Amino acid sequence: MSQVSGNIFSIQRYSIHDGPGIRTTVFFKGCPLHCFWCHNPESQKSEQEIQVVDFRCIECGLCIKNCPNDARKIVDDKILILKDKCKLCMKCVSVCMSKATEVVGREYTVEELIKKIITDVPFYKRSRGGVTFSGGEPLIQIEFLLECLKECKKNNIHTALDTSGYGTWSKFEKILNFTDLFLYDIKTLDNKKHKKATGVSNKIILENLNRISERNAKIHIRIPLIPNFNDTSKDMEEIANYLKKIKGIELVELLNFHQLGYGKYKNLQRQYLAENLKPIKDERIKELSEIFIKNKFNIKTR
Amino acid sequence: MEKHISYIERINNLSRTKAEHTGIKIKRGLNKKSSTSTDLAALDADDKGIIPPPEDFEFKLEPNHPSGGVFGPVACGSNYRKLLENHPVYIDPNSSLAGGYMFNFWEMSNPVKGKSVWNPDFDFSFLKEDQEKYGIIHGIGDPQHFYQDINIGFKLGWKGILEKIRYYKKNNYPSGKDFYKGLEDIVLGIQNWIHRHAVAAEDYSKVEENPVLRENLIEMARINRKLVTEPPETFHEAVQWFAWFIMSSLMYNGNGTGGAIDVFLKPFYDNDKLKGILTDEEAMFHLACLLIKDNEYYQIGGTDINGNDMTNPISFLLLEAAHLLKIPTSIYLRVHEKQDPKLLEKAVEILFEDRNGSPNFVSDENLNSGFIKNGYTIELARQREKCGCHWCNIPGREFTHSDLVKINFVSVFDVTLKEVLNSGNANHSVNNVWDRFVYHLGKAVEVAAKGIDFHIEYMHEIFPELVLDLLCYGSIERGIDASHGSLEFYNLGVDGAGLATVADSFAAIEQKVEIEKCLSWQEIESVLKNNYKDAENIRLMLKNIDRYGSGGSRADEYGVRISSIFTEIVKEKSTPKGFNMIPGIFSWALDTLMGKYIGATPNGRFANEPISHGANPDPGSSDSITALAIAVASIQSGYGNSCPLQLDIDPILGNEKESQGKFIAFIKAFFDLGGTLLNVNILDKKKILDANENPSKYPDLIVRVTGFSTYFAGLSKEWRQLIVNRIIESS
Ligand code: SF4
Ligand code: SF4
Repeated sequence: MSQVSGNIFSIQRYSIHDGPGIRTTVFFKGCPLHCFWCHNPESQKSEQEIQVVDFRCIECGLCIKNCPNDARKIVDDKILILKDKCKLCMKCVSVCMSKATEVVGREYTVEELIKKIITDVPFYKRSRGGVTFSGGEPLIQIEFLLECLKECKKNNIHTALDTSGYGTWSKFEKILNFTDLFLYDIKTLDNKKHKKATGVSNKIILENLNRISERNAKIHIRIPLIPNFNDTSKDMEEIANYLKKIKGIELVELLNFHQLGYGKYKNLQRQYLAENLKPIKDERIKELSEIFIKNKFNIKTR
Repeated sequence: MEKHISYIERINNLSRTKAEHTGIKIKRGLNKKSSTSTDLAALDADDKGIIPPPEDFEFKLEPNHPSGGVFGPVACGSNYRKLLENHPVYIDPNSSLAGGYMFNFWEMSNPVKGKSVWNPDFDFSFLKEDQEKYGIIHGIGDPQHFYQDINIGFKLGWKGILEKIRYYKKNNYPSGKDFYKGLEDIVLGIQNWIHRHAVAAEDYSKVEENPVLRENLIEMARINRKLVTEPPETFHEAVQWFAWFIMSSLMYNGNGTGGAIDVFLKPFYDNDKLKGILTDEEAMFHLACLLIKDNEYYQIGGTDINGNDMTNPISFLLLEAAHLLKIPTSIYLRVHEKQDPKLLEKAVEILFEDRNGSPNFVSDENLNSGFIKNGYTIELARQREKCGCHWCNIPGREFTHSDLVKINFVSVFDVTLKEVLNSGNANHSVNNVWDRFVYHLGKAVEVAAKGIDFHIEYMHEIFPELVLDLLCYGSIERGIDASHGSLEFYNLGVDGAGLATVADSFAAIEQKVEIEKCLSWQEIESVLKNNYKDAENIRLMLKNIDRYGSGGSRADEYGVRISSIFTEIVKEKSTPKGFNMIPGIFSWALDTLMGKYIGATPNGRFANEPISHGANPDPGSSDSITALAIAVASIQSGYGNSCPLQLDIDPILGNEKESQGKFIAFIKAFFDLGGTLLNVNILDKKKILDANENPSKYPDLIVRVTGFSTYFAGLSKEWRQLIVNRIIESS
C-alpha cells in the first residue's frame, strides 16, 4: 500500500448525515476557505495544533511544569496555551493524563486509515453506506486522498467526497473514477459576497461543478444556510436556476446554521465570528426549500 | 348520562391510573424488589403491573416453621389459596379485563426480609465462604426463571387442570401427595379469585352510568363466570384467561412471563375474524388492557419450527397497544431474514417515538445456532422463546433458572491480583495473573454449579413452582415440581458480570507496567490499596488506555479472552449432578451491588464503585455505536443465552424515517457480527440531567435500566447516577 500519509483531525463512525447509509466520515485537516461560520475550526489549519478540553482538566499543573518553552499558563482558572511561545513539541500532550491537552490532527498512513474504515464494513453493507472524505478540504491532500479512494474501491466500499469544490481541475480529474458521490458545497452565486465570507472566489468552484457533471458524476449539493449571508430567496432562486442546468444532481441539502462549533473555538483559543448568529427558523427553511421543490429538486433540510 | 367513550379514551384513562399507582408505589417503597439471593435490602426492579393494595388491607400468613417461614407445597399452596381468596377485587370499568394483583407472595412468605426465601434447615453454609470470595450471586432460593406453555391452559381451562391434578394424584398415590395438595389449592384459589370478579363486575354494571362501560362490565361478568371453569374460546376470553394465569404466577413469586404472544393468541384471533366478531381495534384494546396488568417480556415475530415467519397482525397490534399506552414495557422483536420487514420498521419507529426503551431486538439466528451447540435440534431451538431480561426458554418444557446465578469477574480478578501481589515472589507478570485468574474462575464456576445443584435438590421442599407447574409438561403427570426434575430439559444459566472492568484492568497493567514500564507492580499495589489517594494522575493514566470497546485494542483482546475462557469453563463440565449449564454475560441491575465490596481496580475504578455493566464496554470507551456493537458481538458466549448490548443513544439518531432505516441496518449488522440481544435507551440528555435534579418534575420519564424499562423517578439515587454518568462520559 502507498506510503503517503495524511493529516486527519477526526474520524466519525456511524455518520448518518454525510451521504447514503451508515458511513465513516474522515475529516481532513486544512482548508483553503475560511468561512466565518465554520463549525469545524480545527479543520482550517493544515498543521497539527494542540487544544485544551476544559472540562477534562484536573488542574494538576503537569503541562506547565513540563513545557520546555514556558508556553502553558493558568489565566483566570483556565489552563491556556500561549500560541506565540508554543513550539508544538507535544510534551504537554504526553504528560496530560486526563487527556485534556489534545493534539488536533494526526498523521495516518493509507493503510492505517483503511484499516479503520474497513472495521465498519458490515454496517456499510447492511445500509448501503460507505466512507465520506470530508474536512477541511480533502483535495488539498490530493495524493493521500487519491490513494485512500483507490483502496476503498479495491475493497468495494462506496466513496463520497465532501468538497468545497475549490481546487484545480487536475485534482478532480484524478479522483473522478474513484468517487461514487460528490457532496458539493455551494454557498452563494454572488461572487463578491462569496469572496468576503470565505476568502475565495466561487468561479473555479462553479466551473468544477460543471465539469464533474459533464463527466457523469453523481452529486448532492449542500448549501449551508447562514443568517444575514445567504438566507434570502434571491440567493436560493439564483442557485436553483443555476443548478437546473447541471445534470447528475440527485439531491439538494439545505443545512441550517448551528452553534455547535462554539466550544471548539474556545478550546482552540480562537475567536468565533458567528457567535451572535441564531439558527434560521424552521418556517423560513421551509420557504427556502420550496424554491428547490418548485424547480423539481429532491430536497433535504437539516 | 349517555356518553360514548372510545378505546383511545379508555386507554388514556388506564395509563393515567397506572401512573397514579406508580406514584403511590414509589411513595410507599413498593417499587423495589426486596429480596434476592444477595444481601442488599432493596433493589431497583422492573415496574411490574402490580397495584398498590388498599392501605387498611391486612393479611396474615400461617407459617409452618419456627423461623416464621411458609415452606413446602402444602403450606405454600394453602397460604397462597388463602391470599387469593382474600385478595381485594380489582375492576377498572375502562378495562376489558378483570383483576389486578397487589402482592408478591414469595416475599411475604419470607422469614428473613431482604434475602431469598430459604428454610434454614437446609444449610448451605459449606458453600458460603467460596460464594463470598468470588462474589457469586448463587440464586439459591430465587424464583427460578422459566415459564409456562399457556396452550395447556387454553385447552383445559381451570376445571380441566383441576381434573388433571386429581387424576394423577390418584394414579400416583401416595407419591407426590403433598405436591398435589399444593397444586389443588392453587387452582381452587385462582377459581375463587376469578369468580369473585365475575360477581363484582355484574354488581358494578348495575350502577355504571356510561352505556359503553356498562356493556363492558356485563361482558366481563359473563366471560369471567365462564372462565372459572371453562377454557377460553374467543380472543377476548383467551386474553383474560392468560391475564389470570400470569397475574397468579407473578403474584406467587414474580415468575412466569408473556412469551410468544402473537403465536399463542393467533388461533383465537383467526377464529374470531372468521366469525366476524373481532375488529383489529378491539383486539388491540384487549392487548393494551393486558399490558397494563403485565407489561413484560413478550416476544413477537419469531418463527415456527420450520423457520417460517410467524409475524401476524397480533405482532403489530401489540406494538400499537404499547405505543398508545406509553408505559414501560418489554417487548422483544425476534429478528430474522424471513421476517415481514414492516414489523422491524414499526418497532424502530415506536422505539424512537416513545423513548421507552422498548421494543428490544434479538437475533433469531444467533440464539438458535448457539442453542443447538448444547446438543439440541434446530426445531427445538426455534421453540425456545425470548422471555426475560436476557434469557430464553422452551415454554413448559425447560427449566433454566436463568439470570439468577452470576459470577462477578471483578471479584475473581480481585482475589487473583491480591494473591499474586502477596505471593512474596517479586517477579510478577501479567501472564501469571492471567493463569491464576483462569484457575480462580474455574473455582468460581464450580461453586456456582454446586449452588445450582443444591437449589434443585431442595427448592421444591421450600418454595415449589406451584403455579408454573400447572402449565408445564411433566409436573402434574409425574407429581414432581419443575425445580426438582419433572421437566424434559434442564439448561441452567450461569452469567459472568463486569467484563469491561476486568478486561481493562488486565490491559492497563500489561501496557503501563509491562510494556511501557511507567509503573511498577509495587506502585500498582500501593495505589490500589490506597484507593488512588493522591494518585489521580496514575489513575487517569490507567483509565485512559485504549479500553475494551475502542476496537482492536489490547483490552478488546482481553474481553474476548475472558469471555472465551469463561464459556469454555462453563461448557467443559456439567454441574456435579450432571445438569447442563449455559454461559452468558449479563449483570442485570446488580452493577452497583456487585461493586460495593470490591476495592479499587487497575482500570482506574475507585473502591466500591459499580462494576461495568454486563457485557458492555465502560461508557466513553467506544467512539461510536458501531464500535460498541463490534465489541459486544465479539464476546458472545454463543450457546443460546445472550450477552446483551445496552445502547444509550440520542434521539437524533432516529428522528426521521431515513435515520430509522439506518438504525435498522445497524441492528442487522450487529446480528451479522454475532450479537444476540440489543437493548436501546433513547436518552434525551437534557431531560435526563434535569430529571436527575428534579425527579418529581418528570413522573412519566421512562428509561431502560438494563433488561427492563422503568420510571426514572422510581429509581434509586445510585441508579439515576449511573445513567447520568453514562450520559456524561459518552458525550
Ligand atoms: S496536564 Fe492536563 S490535566 Fe494537568 S493541568 Fe495540564 S491540561 Fe490540565
Ligand atoms: S506543545 Fe510543547 S511547547 Fe507547546 S505548550 Fe506543549 S509542551 Fe509547551
